[in-house]
Amino acid sequence: MLEPLKEPFRYEPPKALAQGAGDAGKKKQAKAKDASGTLKRIWRYVAYHRTKLAAVFAMIVFSTVLSLLGPYLAGTAIDRFIEERNTGFVPFLLGMAVVYGLHAWTMWLQNIWMIGVAQETVRGMRRDLFAHLHKLPIPFFARRQHGELMSRVTNDIENVSSSLNSSFIQLVSSVLLLVGIVGVMLSLSPLLTLLTFLVIPLMVFGMKWITSRTSRLFREQQRNIGDLNGFVEETLSGQRIIKAFSREEVVTRAFHERNKRIHESGFWAQAISGFIPKLMNGLNNFSFALIVGVGALLVIGGHGVTVGTIMIFAEFSRQFTRPLNDLANQWNTLLSAMAGAERVFQIMDEPVEAADESEAAVLERMEGRVEFRGVSFAYQEGHPILRHISFEAEPGETVAFVGPTGAGKSTIIGLLCRFYEPSAGSIRIDGLPASGIRRDSLRAHMAFVLQDPFLFEGTIRDNIRYGKLDAADEEVEEAAKLANAHSFIMRLPGGYGAKLKPDGGGISQGQKQLIAIARAILADPAILVLDEATSSIDTVTEIKIQEALQRLMKGRTSFVIAHRLNTIQTADRIIVLQDGKVTESGAHDELLVRDGFYSKLVNGQVVLT
Amino acid sequence: MRTVFSYLKRYRAAAILALALMLTELLVELFQPYIMAKMIDEGIQTRDTEVVFLWGGILLLCSAAAFAVGILSSFYAAHVSQSFGFDLREKLYGKIQSFSFANFNSFPESSLITRLTNDIVQLQNTVFMGLRIMLRAPLFIVGSVIMAFVVNWQLALWFAGSIPFLALFLYLVMKRGEKLFRSVQQKLDRVNAIMQQNLIGMRLIRVFVRMKHERGRFDKSSGELMDRTVAALRLTEMTTPVILLVMNAGIIAVLWFGKVQLEAGSASVGEIVAIVNYATRTLGVFSLISMIVVNFSKAKASSERIEEVLVTDASLKDGEAAPARSSIAGEISFDHVTFRYPDTEEPILSDISFRALPGETLAIMGATGSGKSTLLQLIPRFYDTAEGSVSIDGQDHEGLKMESLRRAIGYVPQDIVLFSGTVADNIRVGKEEATMEEIIEAAKLAQIHETIMRFPNQYDTVIGQMGVNLSGGQKQRLTIARALVRKPAILLLDDCTSALDVRTEAALLDALKAMNCTTLLVTQKVSSTANSDRILLLDDGRLLASGSHTELKQQSPLYRKICQSQSGKAGAAHA
Repeated sequence: MLEPLKEPFRYEPPKALAQGAGDAGKKKQAKAKDASGTLKRIWRYVAYHRTKLAAVFAMIVFSTVLSLLGPYLAGTAIDRFIEERNTGFVPFLLGMAVVYGLHAWTMWLQNIWMIGVAQETVRGMRRDLFAHLHKLPIPFFARRQHGELMSRVTNDIENVSSSLNSSFIQLVSSVLLLVGIVGVMLSLSPLLTLLTFLVIPLMVFGMKWITSRTSRLFREQQRNIGDLNGFVEETLSGQRIIKAFSREEVVTRAFHERNKRIHESGFWAQAISGFIPKLMNGLNNFSFALIVGVGALLVIGGHGVTVGTIMIFAEFSRQFTRPLNDLANQWNTLLSAMAGAERVFQIMDEPVEAADESEAAVLERMEGRVEFRGVSFAYQEGHPILRHISFEAEPGETVAFVGPTGAGKSTIIGLLCRFYEPSAGSIRIDGLPASGIRRDSLRAHMAFVLQDPFLFEGTIRDNIRYGKLDAADEEVEEAAKLANAHSFIMRLPGGYGAKLKPDGGGISQGQKQLIAIARAILADPAILVLDEATSSIDTVTEIKIQEALQRLMKGRTSFVIAHRLNTIQTADRIIVLQDGKVTESGAHDELLVRDGFYSKLVNGQVVLT
Repeated sequence: MRTVFSYLKRYRAAAILALALMLTELLVELFQPYIMAKMIDEGIQTRDTEVVFLWGGILLLCSAAAFAVGILSSFYAAHVSQSFGFDLREKLYGKIQSFSFANFNSFPESSLITRLTNDIVQLQNTVFMGLRIMLRAPLFIVGSVIMAFVVNWQLALWFAGSIPFLALFLYLVMKRGEKLFRSVQQKLDRVNAIMQQNLIGMRLIRVFVRMKHERGRFDKSSGELMDRTVAALRLTEMTTPVILLVMNAGIIAVLWFGKVQLEAGSASVGEIVAIVNYATRTLGVFSLISMIVVNFSKAKASSERIEEVLVTDASLKDGEAAPARSSIAGEISFDHVTFRYPDTEEPILSDISFRALPGETLAIMGATGSGKSTLLQLIPRFYDTAEGSVSIDGQDHEGLKMESLRRAIGYVPQDIVLFSGTVADNIRVGKEEATMEEIIEAAKLAQIHETIMRFPNQYDTVIGQMGVNLSGGQKQRLTIARALVRKPAILLLDDCTSALDVRTEAALLDALKAMNCTTLLVTQKVSSTANSDRILLLDDGRLLASGSHTELKQQSPLYRKICQSQSGKAGAAHA
């Protein structure tokens, strides 16, 4: 027999198109580490739908019993009404019809109820995970790769979803079916049952032999495929160079070598794993032959075995290997889903940002006076990022931070908007300690223009409006005009309604900055944080950006992580950071005469990339 | 599908053998109930143990034979599918290597990778399954029906009659299901997109305090995803109960009419048992059909995507003339060149004319999107012009063999591409047969030799994919060394000195001057143009002005504005 599937439409989970879902699926074979803990937590989500689940369970019990009853009744019909010609055949057949009908009905109910439970559960998990992400401290995101996080929140949850859908029912019904079949078989003929059991050791032995080989072969094949993928990716993204330097033949040869290795390992992996269905088939055929042959002898010998019994056994012996096989498969799926769930729960277990103090103030207005006093910060004990930073900014002033990568410029900004808390020293805003102000109220008076301005998939208008969700269209356009963005927006097909692709594709880097500036203008903050782009933006756009920034910074306390000398020169105060310490501070002219890092920078002797 | 599957032809013999083996196995299984009927009717009913032993022995022998045959077929099927995949990969990769840049524009890189990997694996698996299961399931059903008719045609009618209806039912569900699952996929992509945006934009969301807004967006999408998934699954989960119901109704009919016929003497007990057995076996196989159809439609999509690549014509025609590298002097001239990307209306370059004499350096300036990079890429013939012509040493370069044209050109793109391997390997990409001396010389010219000597393994230092452990400036200089190692007649530099400090850049430009090759330099910095003989100022695909620094300062208001924005900083516009 073929391995029949219980569900004809095995729900294949649609894989996320983002982030190379292809190999993520393979890597996830890892087993869950704390299985019972994870199971308990999944249960907590499922438990919301406890009643429904109980109903599903009841239906599985009914449908399994009914599915056992079917072949049994058919066998009995042969014995009692066809071989022996008893009366009452019509009512018996009607009874059978009822059993078959009920079987189909209970199966349908168990399926559709389970779909509801599984999908509601997954939706709950998604919702909680998403909400949790918003509570996690910002350094968490700096430590993680987006791709890896994405794979957790998409593939892993999908994995949980699909296995809740199919595995649960199959697992429960396989166990019940197995118990039921063995029970019925034993009651009919212990001898034939024993014969049926003969295949079990053969199956275990055969599967062991196969899987011990295939697991090694599949690993090797996976490695070879991964190798080829990497090679293809590299040569395709470097296509311009390959063409320009006429390297086509060299890479084609190298490809050929890798391809040959895949061919080799793929052949053995596929051929040997192809033994599995053949083995199951062979064992089924073998036990069929045994049962029919021995069964026939028993009938002739009059050992209480009937033709109907043979028919029942012929059917059950096939059904007997199926749940065994299903169990093994479903168990693996379930384990990988548990591993997936565990990875999701790991994120939910990450400690959230410390809550605001209960008496934290809500600022209606902010003037924008900022003071850092002896601020130190370290992610890890003993590895300080910032040491004793002190400076102040009066409302409306511009402070520029200058220094090599890793000097701690971004960390200062992070402390300012309380993405993290200082490990020593204090930050005061408008004279109040920053830790005494509610985070959302503090941030509501700030705006960011980051060096890679993040734009959402959506219209230009929506992206600007992000600065103030209830802004009217006129306000949006007004802000865009001030940001020098209006004219280029009007040239886009669709104007303000033009759709941006995911990650803001479709417009240039410089234009993205203009939109980010418009967004900040609309937000009308007291404090402005600006992280200048390091990449070269074309000169004309650059001029537009500078003009717009000047308008934006006017009357606001501005902190600039500067890469452009002309921005730095006009700052009220320049703070040179090196290695987490303030090494120089003052206005442009003051620093220039000092012959320190800054004057070297201005003379082109050092660069900031 | 035909083109792709024509690659199976080479393995026709093995494929036929695999199919034949599979059919043998199938036949054995099909005869089992038949033999069972014989055993019941001739053995049990007549109490003849010898008949039982005979047929029982045959059954056992058959199953052993089927097992052996099945194992053998696995090898042949694996051979066919793996070799098929191997050939397809070779062919596809070769095709991609022959692509022009215009071709690349119509296939995004990520999609080519998927086609080369996932799609081919999908096809490979389909071929493997096709030789073993896919054909087997329908054949099994047909075979069961035939055998049932052989056993007792009147009873077989009851069981066979339901099959066309079930097939139609499955087909309809599948059609509808496909549509539903497509919308599930769309909703899922939507949910994932929001998730991704939130991860990337987390700081912004926090600063603008938009968490609630985002949660609302997410919850809406997530709810839609759930509704669609439930709708799709509800439909497809209906199939099993329906198939069960219909087939079981058939079994009841067989029992009823079996009894009627038995009493009329036109059927035996064994026959009834056999037909019921055929019916239950068919029931099991039916569930495979839908899996096969799903797999087949995936394979169809994959093969279409692969074919799309295979049938694409490499759009550039190679020229005939193949001048030796040494005979190319390096004069470049553009004669009324207009260029637009394939399938677009707007020209990127319109009516560009200029000339660069051997050894001259031309700087190209202009806003993003003004066509600077495109202009450079026309010279090595990454694309052909729409109108006008590009000539090298007075000869239209479409008449040159592409390889000899490109051998004379050193190209440094704006986006840095390094390959995994050592530093020396990466420089050697420029000239395969370069000696170590030549590599070091190029590195010195590119001002990176000293840096390399400070690396742990100097020229043998391994750099990661895309060169992760080098700084931006180091990577830029390495890509320049790669172009210089081939001692090009023409050097094309696409804004590749942005991460260099002023002194290094000046030293580099001096070194380049000494190499005496025709140099086209795209730049944003007024400081970089100091060494150039002429400056071309592009705006919106047109040549706005050209001339020396002093000439342009007088003639072009835009150039004056650019100079102003970068002035007074000792030449360091970008700190």
